Amino acid sequence: MNKELTDKYDVIIGLEIHIQTNTKSKMFCSCPTGYFQKQPNTHVCPVCLGLPGALPVPNKRAIELCILMGLATNCNIANEIYFDRKHYFYPDLPKGYQISQYKDPICSDGYVEISNGQKVAIERIHQEEDVAKSTHHTEGSTGKEYTLVDYNKSSVPLIEIVTKPNITSAKDAKDYATKIRQIARYLNISDADMEKGQMRCEPNISIQEKGKWEYKDGKILPIGEYKLNPKVEVKNIGSITAVEKAIEYEVERMSAELEDGEEIKQQTRGWNAAKGITEFQRYKESADDYRYMPEPDIPVIDISKEDIERIRKEIVELPNEKIKRYMQDWDITEYAADVISSTKESAEYFEKLQKKLSESMNEKDSAKEASNWIMGPLYAIANKQGKEIADIGVNGDDLAKLIVAFKEDVFTKNKAEELLNQSIEKGLNITDEIEKLKSAKESVGSLDNIVKQVIDENTQAVTDYKSGKEASIGFLVGKVMQLTHGTANPNDVRNTLIEELKK
Amino acid sequence: MKIDVKHIAKLSRISLTDEELKKFTPQMEGILESASVLQEVNTDGVKPMKGHIKLEEVREDISGECLTQEEVLKNAKYKEAGCVKVYGKVFGENQES
Ligand SMILES: [Zn+2]
Repeated sequence: MNKELTDKYDVIIGLEIHIQTNTKSKMFCSCPTGYFQKQPNTHVCPVCLGLPGALPVPNKRAIELCILMGLATNCNIANEIYFDRKHYFYPDLPKGYQISQYKDPICSDGYVEISNGQKVAIERIHQEEDVAKSTHHTEGSTGKEYTLVDYNKSSVPLIEIVTKPNITSAKDAKDYATKIRQIARYLNISDADMEKGQMRCEPNISIQEKGKWEYKDGKILPIGEYKLNPKVEVKNIGSITAVEKAIEYEVERMSAELEDGEEIKQQTRGWNAAKGITEFQRYKESADDYRYMPEPDIPVIDISKEDIERIRKEIVELPNEKIKRYMQDWDITEYAADVISSTKESAEYFEKLQKKLSESMNEKDSAKEASNWIMGPLYAIANKQGKEIADIGVNGDDLAKLIVAFKEDVFTKNKAEELLNQSIEKGLNITDEIEKLKSAKESVGSLDNIVKQVIDENTQAVTDYKSGKEASIGFLVGKVMQLTHGTANPNDVRNTLIEELKK
Repeated sequence: MKIDVKHIAKLSRISLTDEELKKFTPQMEGILESASVLQEVNTDGVKPMKGHIKLEEVREDISGECLTQEEVLKNAKYKEAGCVKVYGKVFGENQES
């Protein structure tokens, strides 16, 4: 929206996130969950195929993971779990209903703090089951449309995390989705890979005239005679970046529609990543059409305080806490803390490196060096290899030795980075190389002698320097560095040279 | 008690003729009517009477045997590439029946 429009309209976003949780078996039967790239319809039994008479048997681990997600997002946990049936008719839903939770979700009233400090309110997290995978085709010979259905995905455990409509920008929505994904991954609740469909984000978006609505008890209410604009739901979002792009597109589209004097209709649209647009799918069926009813085949599951405390033990330090700790205890910049804590693996790498370094220097310096090396050389290498920093094959203890040697002036930072690269490319042993360079440094003797030798051997450069061509000092520094195998400190070399040349 | 049988049929992707609608509507309304006496009971604050189990009694997460692909597809009218094949448009307007 341009300035005129952002002055006129507020953007209101709620986000529904579905996450497949990490279990070995399905939500209501013992079929294995790992369906990715498996032969179609080979992970299926009478229960997940919806055959008459088959009874659902809930999965304990799935329920624990749902509770874990709730605890990590500051939710209240129900002490009784009820399931409901949500009816709709579609080939991917063999029973004609999905077992879900309607009135009483397992987790409710939580929040996640996003980067700008706002607490995004979570209304509920409920447990349900995934549907089958369907692909749509057209028959060559007859031109008839048809759908192929693979039930391997049918009844894989799925949790739905629903926010209240209190996100106010596309960027915040993206940030919130990122935090949810990080929590899911840190706690091994899910791999949450959006490309594989393990995590799906469906924003609902509306724009309202400024000052004409209020947010009360988790709802958007009109003020006075104002008629609220309906919301639009966007599906088929395949990446976290697309969450932001799709919302930005919708806000533009809806504000343009309103400015043209048109009325927005409540509808579902699909994100087309290739074109960067949303496309109309259907006008939305109202909630009543799902004809929810209590699931009669599953008893009420009682959750005790002990259950909750046992599950709570699985919570580890999460990115938000890590960011605060890195900044407060170690003076790490917010940006670096955010990047380093973005995955559990990189945070662990950083913390191990910091700990190892702290054997040789103080806590803060250790953290700063670790952060600088990770944010600089390590990420450069990781990006080049297209890997995570924990996977590029640099042993943290070796890297610590390298950093300590550099800090002790055994060699320059350039030399240290060169060694790091060579250890990856040629498999050089960093510890051995450090030892070699240490003894080399001892054998080449004092810097003064080398400087004298270089001055004697490079009369032309010396003459140039003395006649005012100050740039030739660089050449002489280079010569000294060569003779010291890069072990000298270039500033020391430069200063010693200048002193010596004054004589 | 009025119900919109046409709407209910549509949600279930069942097409009914006007004649069938005329026949079924009073039948279904009658069923609801007789069940509706239950509505007269005050259930405020009364929880559903259902069996309870403890979380520790819920099925452990262990994967087991499945049907073969052949068995899964046995009852499908049409099949293709190991999948159940369903004719119709994306949102289920079944052109078959
Ligand atoms: Zn199954």
